[in-house]
Amino acid sequence: MFKNHFYHGLTSGIMAALAAIIYSRIHFFATQADFSGIINLGTMISLNLIGCLIFSIVYYFFTGMWKKKGIIVFHLLITILSFAAVIIPISISLPLTVKNPELFPGLAVPMIFFPALAWFTLKPLFNSDF
Amino acid sequence: MKKSIFPAITLVILIASAFTFFQSVEWKISDNYSVKFDGGDPSGEFTGLKGSIKFDEKNLADSKFDCTVDVASINTGNGMKNTHAKSDKWLDATKYPVIHFTSKSINKTESGYEAKGTLDFHGVQKEITLPFTFVNNVFAGTFEVNRMDYGINTAEPNHGAQVLKVSLNVPVTK
Repeated sequence: MFKNHFYHGLTSGIMAALAAIIYSRIHFFATQADFSGIINLGTMISLNLIGCLIFSIVYYFFTGMWKKKGIIVFHLLITILSFAAVIIPISISLPLTVKNPELFPGLAVPMIFFPALAWFTLKPLFNSDF
Repeated sequence: MKKSIFPAITLVILIASAFTFFQSVEWKISDNYSVKFDGGDPSGEFTGLKGSIKFDEKNLADSKFDCTVDVASINTGNGMKNTHAKSDKWLDATKYPVIHFTSKSINKTESGYEAKGTLDFHGVQKEITLPFTFVNNVFAGTFEVNRMDYGINTAEPNHGAQVLKVSLNVPVTK
């Protein structure tokens, strides 16, 4: 049964990583601000994959414990955590060698929501009810 | 009369050359300098250092620093903190756009040199002593600045560090 959740986490992780890579290129061409020392290809792929797989594991346990209420709790939790995580790129101090730190939240804040967005978007495809 | 012209010219040249000999060397600040400050939170650097540096180890009496740092060039590594630091609550970069140090005297010490002078910061002028070394055409020094002495956000004494350690590393060329 967890196999379904695993594939859900994996595919949404890949989708979120792709979105992050495309967005980082758009951000670079728009601002010419290079943050590749902080957010590079490796971190974008690994963080999105890890994030979405963790979502699947938590979802598996929540729905196992509380059935339908678990789904509601999970959705609320992921949404609240994603919003709360916005504070990380805003408050983080970058190395002094990085130029234009004021442009960093513009890159990182939207990326915070990519794992949740991808996971929620692909959920109907991996829902056993369909 | 003609006989005395040449000795007079010689004397003038000798006196003039003596003055050029005593003149301190003018240095240009290289691009790879650093003006860092560390108070835990906040920490960072200023990138807008300008000024004239006249320094000769053999003629300290004629040596002089007259340098400014552009307040708006502050970089803490965080865009929000940079904006906050430049605001009127803290450094007020609009009203006080530069930090200005002018030396009055430079003396030799056991570990290097010390420049005594006036630090004009946030509209407050204070006499400070800036210890420094000069090795391989690089000026390096560390000193402390208490923001409360310069009237910087005195309403919130516990908001961030009061004492900031300032580290200078300024390579120069002739």
